[in-house]
Amino acid sequence: MKKRNKLGQEELVGFGMIVILVSVILVVFLWLSINKPVKDSVESYEVESFIQAILQYNTDCIAENNQEYLSIQDMISICYNGERCSDDRDSCNVLNSTLKGIIKESWSVGEDTPAKGYNLDILSDIQEILVLNQGSRTNNYKAGTQIFDMSGREIKLSFKVYY
Amino acid sequence: MVRTNKKGQLKLQQMIFMIVAVTLLFSIVGLFFVSLALSGIKEDAIMLEEKNAMLLVTKLANSPEFSCGDSFGGTRINCLDLDKAMALKENIAKYSNFWGVSTIEIRKIYPAERETICENSNYPDCNVLKLFSKEQNGFSISNFVALCRKESNNGQIYDKCELGKIIVSYEKKK
Repeated sequence: MKKRNKLGQEELVGFGMIVILVSVILVVFLWLSINKPVKDSVESYEVESFIQAILQYNTDCIAENNQEYLSIQDMISICYNGERCSDDRDSCNVLNSTLKGIIKESWSVGEDTPAKGYNLDILSDIQEILVLNQGSRTNNYKAGTQIFDMSGREIKLSFKVYY
Repeated sequence: MVRTNKKGQLKLQQMIFMIVAVTLLFSIVGLFFVSLALSGIKEDAIMLEEKNAMLLVTKLANSPEFSCGDSFGGTRINCLDLDKAMALKENIAKYSNFWGVSTIEIRKIYPAERETICENSNYPDCNVLKLFSKEQNGFSISNFVALCRKESNNGQIYDKCELGKIIVSYEKKK
């Protein structure tokens, strides 16, 4: 009777060990499949390129002292200095309307579109040059920043698109 | 003796059943994970292809075939020389397998205009430049670029940069 019991216990221990082994293997496989590197859905290369491209865009404003169409980067400079275009338009107004137009055509922002809103800041180290906002702000966004030098001052252009 | 043998046979049967059951269980679990891993490989291949396309589209504007170089004053990043791209369109057959893509399209975004395909006859009064016109059945990835060209006004030549997108399409892998 004693020997029979002992044999039964040994079998139970063996069965238990197999169950534990299978469970451990299952847990390891599950852990490996769950902890797969998640694809980073927030890619900011598009926003970075957008900023670099818009800074080179030539507006229809000509500076008073030369005959060239000013780029957005130059417009930020003359807006900051309070200068006007050769046709007497306010440089900050031209900058504002041009940037609004560019963003409108590039990122269709709205409730029914993937982009829910945007925020564009142009700041110098001492003051705010231009701020543009539209739509709603969410926790999911693509962002980019470009810092450039303008007559010894640091200008920072930041752009965020909310999804 | 006969009883001991019978008991031993029973034990042996029990062990064989157990081994078969455990082997079956491991095989089923193994098959399940192998199928999971295989489906992951296909996903990974698609993801890798998309990543490659993204990398290509980000560096394409800065490649010698498209970049502005020093033609527009200083070295510019993400600047595409539209005059150069038009010249490239004429010799695009030589580049058919160079980038490994099915289409490359350059599209002017701002100022917005009615869609006009660029040809030698209407350039620069156009806004879509198609470099390859293979069939599109894959996925496309785009990136913003500055589209720069030389413009003239009363005999005076000046630089004109507009905003555009470079769109790269890949064929879908089967």
